This record gives sequence, C-alpha cells and structure tokens, in this order.
Amino acid sequence: MVVLENVEKTYQTRGGIVKALRDINLHIEKGRFIAICGPSGSGKTTLLMAIAAMLRPTKGTVRIEQNDLYKMGIRDRARFRAENIGFIFQMFHLIPYLNVIENVILAGGVIGKSRNAANARDLLKQLGLESRVFHKPAQLSAGEKQRVAIARALFNRPKIMLADEPTGNLDDENAASVIGHLSEFHRSGGTVILATHQLQARKFASQVIYLRDGTIEKPKLC
Amino acid sequence: MMILGLIFKEIRYRKTNFLFGLLAVMAAVALFISFFTAGKASERETARLMLSMGFNVHIISENTNTSEFLLTGLADQTMPEQYLEKLASQQAISYNHLLASLQKKISWRGFDVILTGLAAEICPPGSKKSPISYQIEPGNLYVGYRVAQTLGLKDSDTVEIEGKTLMVARCLSESGGADDIRIQCHLRDAQDILKLPGRISEIRAVDCLCFAPAGDPASVLRKEIGSLLPQTQVFHTRSIASARAETRQMVKNLFTVIMPLVVVACGVWIGVLAVINVRDRQQEIGIMRALGYDSGRIISLFLGKAVVIGLLGAAIGFLAGTALAMRFGPDIFKITAKTMIKPEPFLLVISLIFAPLFAAVSSFIAAMIAATYDPAVTLREA
Repeated sequence: MVVLENVEKTYQTRGGIVKALRDINLHIEKGRFIAICGPSGSGKTTLLMAIAAMLRPTKGTVRIEQNDLYKMGIRDRARFRAENIGFIFQMFHLIPYLNVIENVILAGGVIGKSRNAANARDLLKQLGLESRVFHKPAQLSAGEKQRVAIARALFNRPKIMLADEPTGNLDDENAASVIGHLSEFHRSGGTVILATHQLQARKFASQVIYLRDGTIEKPKLC
Repeated sequence: MMILGLIFKEIRYRKTNFLFGLLAVMAAVALFISFFTAGKASERETARLMLSMGFNVHIISENTNTSEFLLTGLADQTMPEQYLEKLASQQAISYNHLLASLQKKISWRGFDVILTGLAAEICPPGSKKSPISYQIEPGNLYVGYRVAQTLGLKDSDTVEIEGKTLMVARCLSESGGADDIRIQCHLRDAQDILKLPGRISEIRAVDCLCFAPAGDPASVLRKEIGSLLPQTQVFHTRSIASARAETRQMVKNLFTVIMPLVVVACGVWIGVLAVINVRDRQQEIGIMRALGYDSGRIISLFLGKAVVIGLLGAAIGFLAGTALAMRFGPDIFKITAKTMIKPEPFLLVISLIFAPLFAAVSSFIAAMIAATYDPAVTLREA
C-alpha cells in the first residue's frame, strides 16, 4: 500500500515560493491501477517523484508498505527504490552508449546478480524487442525506446510501476502498446501509478485522481 | 554492469571529450618527462661548460706579491705541498677539483716559457668527478702551441730541461693565451727542474659556494680555508663563479617556473572538460540515481574515467616526452646528450602514479557536481 499523508511540496523560485503539492492525502491499495490527471504544472510529476522516493516533501509523510521513505538514509532509500519501484518517463531516458540489453541490465546493477542477461532477454522478447537486443537507442524508434524503458523498469520485478506521461511522445499505436504492457503488469498483481493526459489510458485505471494547483480535486472510482 | 564497463563504453561514445582530456594529461606528462630527461643533460652540460671556463679559486702563499700575481697569474713564492693534502682531507669543505701546481717563468732554448708542474687532481672525499685539468704522467711533457712551433717540437721527441730528460707526450693546439708559451709536466718533474722539492706555488679549485645562503662566497671561502691554512691568501674569480651559478640557476628556474604553470593549465583544462562531461550526462546521472545508484557509484564513474585518462596519458606522455628529449636533446646538449639522455623507467613509474592522481584531483569538482544532481530535477527538466 502507498500512503501519502499531508504531503506538501514547495519550491523556491526567482518569482517566489511555488506550492507544487498542497496537503495531499492518498491511500493506494496494492494491485491498483491509478491514473493521475491534470493540466501541465498541476503537480503530477512532483507527486510521482515524491512516491518514487526521489523528492523529499516539504511536509508530510510518504509510506510504502509501512516504510516511511524519507526517514530512510539515502543509501537505503536508493536500494528500496531499486528493489520496489519501476519508473517510466516520457523522454525514455535510455543511456545512449549502452545497447538495448545493457540498458535493461543497468537497472540490476544496484541489487546484485539475482537478475541476469537471460532475464533481460526474456523481458525484451515479451516486449517484441528480441531482434533489437544489441541496437543502440539511436537506432530505435520512439515506441521501441519506450518498450526498452518498460523492460528496464520491469527488470528488478518491482511492486510498483510509476509512469510519467509514458505515451506523450508516441503515436496512438505505440501508446496503446505501452498502456497494454502497463495493464499487463497490473494484471500480474503490480501497482501502477500513471500520470497522463491520454483518455485511453484512463480506461484501464481502477481509480483516476485529478490534480489542480497541487491539490487533489476530485477522487473518483472508475 | 560493472562501473569500469560503463566507463569504457562512455569513453568510446564521447571520444572527443576523452581525447581532449587525454591530450591535456599527455602534454603535462610529456613536458615533465622531456624536461626531466633533458634537464639532467642540461645540468651536466652546464657544469661541463662552466668547468671549461677554468678554476675560480686560487690559494697562494701569504708572502706572494699580490700585484705581481694578479698581473701575471704567477705566484713568486712557494708553500709546502702538504697544504694540498691538508685541504683534500677535509670532509666539510666547500670546493671541488683541487689542483696543486708549481709554476715559474724560465728561459728554455733561448725562449721564455712558463714551466708548470701539475699534481694529480684531487676531489673532496666521497666525491667522484672527472678531472678538468691535464693529468700528466711523470716523465712526460705537454708543450704549448707557440713553443712547439718555435722550437720545432713534435710528439715523442725527447727534450732536456735543466738536466731533466722528458718526452713530448703532446703538442697542444693553439689557445691564443698564456697556455701557448707553457710547458707542462708532472709536479715532481717541475720540482726537480726548479730544485724546489716538496714545494708548490698555487692550489687551484672549483668552488661550489656560488649560492651560499650566508653572505659573500669569497668571504666564506677565505674563512674556511684561512682557518685551515693560515699562511695563505685566497682569491675568488667572481665573474667565472657568477656565470656558472647563474647559468645553472637559470636552467633550474626555467623548470620550476614553467612546469607548475603547465600542470595548473592542464589541470584546469581537465577540470573544465570533466564539468562539460557532467553537464552532457545530466539525464544519464538522473536515470542512474532513479535506478538506485548512489553518490559513490556516480562519483566513481567520473573519477574512474579520470584515472583511465591519467594512466593512458602517463604512458603516451612518457613515450612522447622521451622521444622528444632523445630527438632534440642531442642537438641542444652536444657534449652530454649521448650518455645522459636515455629513457628513464623510474619516470614512467612516477607518471603512472601521479598522472591518474592529478587527473582525478582535476575532475574532483565535476564528480562532486555529478553526485549532487537531484534526479527529480534533472529528469523533470529533461
């Protein structure tokens, strides 16, 4: 279970203090598919980063399965993230000098050798990338890049998948494919938290959360 | 994936950044190696050239007519030969190349010559130096150019001086100075000819007091020698001493001024390249942090790369520096280059230790910047 209690996040900018998140209280049960919607600047990415143990809230607590993320030390938090959370970004963020399989295996670098190249190949096969294993990111299409990013996110068999506009740079066909893979992860028991504008993605969600000006506007069960 | 694997893959991907970094380390190492390799030859060459300017300390009897000595270079009084041994046996004395001589102007075959008897040259105890004066065997005679020309002497001729038979071992080439009218033999032979057994007229030396920290080198010499040989006078030929000292110091200064400048410039260069590399890799750092890589691993990516650059730069720089010194050294240092300029393996070891350290220190700030990148910020801004 992911629990956010009274979470606030403020940024100090040249123009003054910006409140990115305001008093967020959220309980996400294990195995749910949550879609977070809202206009640009509403705080979607900030919320995901806070859940991903990458952005300490100014106030409040973030817990995943009883672990208070921001009471952990930096190393423990990094390891917790590597073991439990997969992350997919709009911009893919593949390492340009590593080929497809190396990009996937990179995710296992922190948690040891329990996962290996064979696991990575299996994942890539499931994602239809078996012929692209030794290609560099520059040789892939946008859809393929995002599928590599999904393989990387899945490599450590995370419990939670966070996806920040993962279809934002894809055509409809590839967007559907990506959402399909997230849905498959959800069906296998994983928790998905997806920040998106795509109406299609919301169809798969068991819950949609609307964010506006850093506030949850309208929790709604689907 | 191992950090080293990531480093090598990134190097292959960003070749230009790597090559510029390598160039900086290589330049610093090559300069250091060529300076050091050729520097030894330079120092030796300077010393040799300066020695060829002659002795610069003259010790004569206290009864010698000083004006006459300064005018002619000949001491009209003698002193005991034991003075040389006394001086030579001192451990903490500040000079090199001691030479005792007995000199007198004589008339030989109707020709005014300077008869010079030379003892074997002595160095201070513990010091092994090549002699800078002629080492003449007893029974042999070295004849100055004008004497040989005027008297029609040639090598292997046998001559007689005041009843003493000597063999012309060498007819010297023209010097354009007093040496042209000099006939030189072993000190014993000169003492026999002049009937002055156990006597010398002068002790000459090359000093090493040019940069004595306390005061005038001549007064230091006089104090040292005066306490040892109270019945003597000491003359210090300052122009020769100064020229020698200044030339040696100039070579040292060149090295000590230029080298730090080059090292600092190369260090800044490597540091700037490392910062550029960090900025280019913001997203990569961000994603690695998101994947759970901690600061230590991020730092090791950048410092590891610096160490690779340092090791490779040291090896190539050593080869380049040695090649430069061996190619151009002999043109500059004609006397000593053949024996002094050669590959110095210990410099390779020093380079392999210090160049990676130097590159890592230069990249340290960049590595720290990388370690402090907030993944939330870098991934959101990308």
